[in-house]
Amino acid sequence: MSRLWSLLFLTVPIVGVWVCIWSANNGYWMPDDISSHGHTIDHLFNFCLWLTGVVFVITELVLVWFMWKYDAKAHAEPVKYTHGSHNLEIVWTIIPSATLLFIAIYQMNAWANVKMRVPTDPDVEVEVVARQFEWRIRYPGKDGVFNTRDDLHTVNDLHVPVGEQVMVRLKSQDVLHDFFLPHLRIKQDAVPGMVIPVWFKAERVSNVTGATSAAYDLVCAELCGWGHYKMKGQLVVETRDEYERFLADLEKQQEATQ
Amino acid sequence: MMGLSPEKSTNRAAGESLRGWAAALCLLAALGCTKADPAQFKLNMEGLDPADFVASGSTDEALAERIAKIEQEPDPDEEQLSELQNAQSANARAKGLRDLKVALHALFGTPDEPFVLKELQTQPDTPEVGFDLAKLRRAAGPVSSLEDGTQIGLYRQHCVHCHGITGDGVGPTAAFLTPYPRDFRRGIFKFTSTSESAKPTKDDLKRTLKQGIAGTAMPSFALLPEADIDALVEYVKYLALRGEMETALMSYVDAGDPVPLTHEELLSELQNYASMWDSAADEVITPEAPPELDEPGLLASIEAGRKLFLDAKAQCVQCHGPTGLGDGAEKRFDVWNEAKTDTNLAFFSLPKQQLQPRNLRSGVYRGGRRPVDLYRRIQAGIKGAQMPSMGQTPAKPSGLTPTEIWNLVHYVQSLPYEPTSETGSPERSIQRDRN
Repeated sequence: MSRLWSLLFLTVPIVGVWVCIWSANNGYWMPDDISSHGHTIDHLFNFCLWLTGVVFVITELVLVWFMWKYDAKAHAEPVKYTHGSHNLEIVWTIIPSATLLFIAIYQMNAWANVKMRVPTDPDVEVEVVARQFEWRIRYPGKDGVFNTRDDLHTVNDLHVPVGEQVMVRLKSQDVLHDFFLPHLRIKQDAVPGMVIPVWFKAERVSNVTGATSAAYDLVCAELCGWGHYKMKGQLVVETRDEYERFLADLEKQQEATQ
Repeated sequence: MMGLSPEKSTNRAAGESLRGWAAALCLLAALGCTKADPAQFKLNMEGLDPADFVASGSTDEALAERIAKIEQEPDPDEEQLSELQNAQSANARAKGLRDLKVALHALFGTPDEPFVLKELQTQPDTPEVGFDLAKLRRAAGPVSSLEDGTQIGLYRQHCVHCHGITGDGVGPTAAFLTPYPRDFRRGIFKFTSTSESAKPTKDDLKRTLKQGIAGTAMPSFALLPEADIDALVEYVKYLALRGEMETALMSYVDAGDPVPLTHEELLSELQNYASMWDSAADEVITPEAPPELDEPGLLASIEAGRKLFLDAKAQCVQCHGPTGLGDGAEKRFDVWNEAKTDTNLAFFSLPKQQLQPRNLRSGVYRGGRRPVDLYRRIQAGIKGAQMPSMGQTPAKPSGLTPTEIWNLVHYVQSLPYEPTSETGSPERSIQRDRN
């Protein structure tokens, strides 16, 4: 009867794998990726998931097998002590190290593309200042220079044109925040005292054909205080025309004298 | 297997009891997962009663009897007499407060079920005037949602943690904030489009909700559905009116007079305040359009504005300082903090907070950065925050003219971009930015 407990442990890998497969097939998986480099991130994620998944299942099966085989009621032999196997220890040190080294090198290009190869000539520049608990966004306006009279200000509402290289200059006014665009696979801590460049390109407006604008989440991913849970903004990806219209609207509102 | 050894039988017993526990746990978990209505956190009304409600231990008749007896004595005990008289006024005060509670309940309902008198509700032909009961109901009550996703209990979901359940600006998070959240109960709101003594319009409240207040903890609710924002505006107005009425009725209690409890008396008192809210839309300041200026014209306007800024007529320097940094000599309090004196501090949960005149070189404008917003700040001042109304009005013909105000607006707008306002070196990527 106590072998039942070994079988109970077996449910862990079975249920775990089943839930994973069921979620992936029923929409509980990654958000829609509309970015140009997002597929690399997703690929790396899936690679790690498969690798760790296979190792996990194998480890669990071995665990259950040992529990079953050496169950105290069925196996009355006394315990044997051993000084260990030096060869085994070498094997199970080298193989994981090699795997980790492989993963580290495998992802280097993806990391560099997202974090290190700063594009020199972005199409759109926008400044995003994170503050407790909102995102203050500033476009440089017609003169293309920040911190001049014609800058356009908005809160929590980041508009970008589709298919164009966007450069975000990320700042923080008070504490650590994190600029997280799930649908673009972009995540970057906003550090007070630093101006951090974040670049991306939205490849399409949405998965709906013919859509000219679509709204996506912009959320804070670094605990910043009591309002962190509701520090949400929206990213609107739209056609160039709609984007220009948005900026023109902003300017008109901002210069209102009536 | 002859029989169970002592160790094995204890193990078996332990195993059985463990199985029993596991089975019981699984049963409870299954029951807990049944579909039931989610918990609704109705408001604990008893917790809102102040300590004053507790009267003295004796009835009015008993006290009167004892006072009469003492007064008849040849040498009345003054101490005992004054004690009894204190008890009498405690009784009167408690009765007054109970009457106040009844009156407010009759006029405004409760936070879970608000209402306003029929006379104050919107009529279909004048949607701008009065209260929309449906919107109030949406904003009030415990937080929940309907099947189609409509949110109920909006005020408690978004506002109560700062502004408090009565709109008194003393929610749980208020203690950590500078400046404190607004106390709605005075009916005074800082950033409005209306003249000096008028209430804010619905649009003003909507604008504050939508853009937040830059530089404070008031966030932007622009991403909420329009209907939610309308409901919240209605509820804020409701709380403000209720607060004003509460203050008015409280003056009866403080004076020792009986609180009016008839429908006519209460309605007429209420309509004094409600009519001010209804007429707010008539008091909107629409500035004359500024002249179209080319580059040299704009510079001239900015220069004229600078001279005005430093001039005694405009009174800017005494609070904002000669360089506009907000370091003027005057140290004042806004009306909400002014009410906190040395003697009554015990009534207030939060300490007194100094008023800080705006640093005009930061480029952060709390009431909005549009030229019309800046114009209105100068023309009508900022209610409650000691920024005086400087513009010309029929009552004050010596105020600043529209041209003068536009010059000041241009000057104020130019301040953040003056070379002296720059901080640090020009930005490069990933560099230390001293803000």
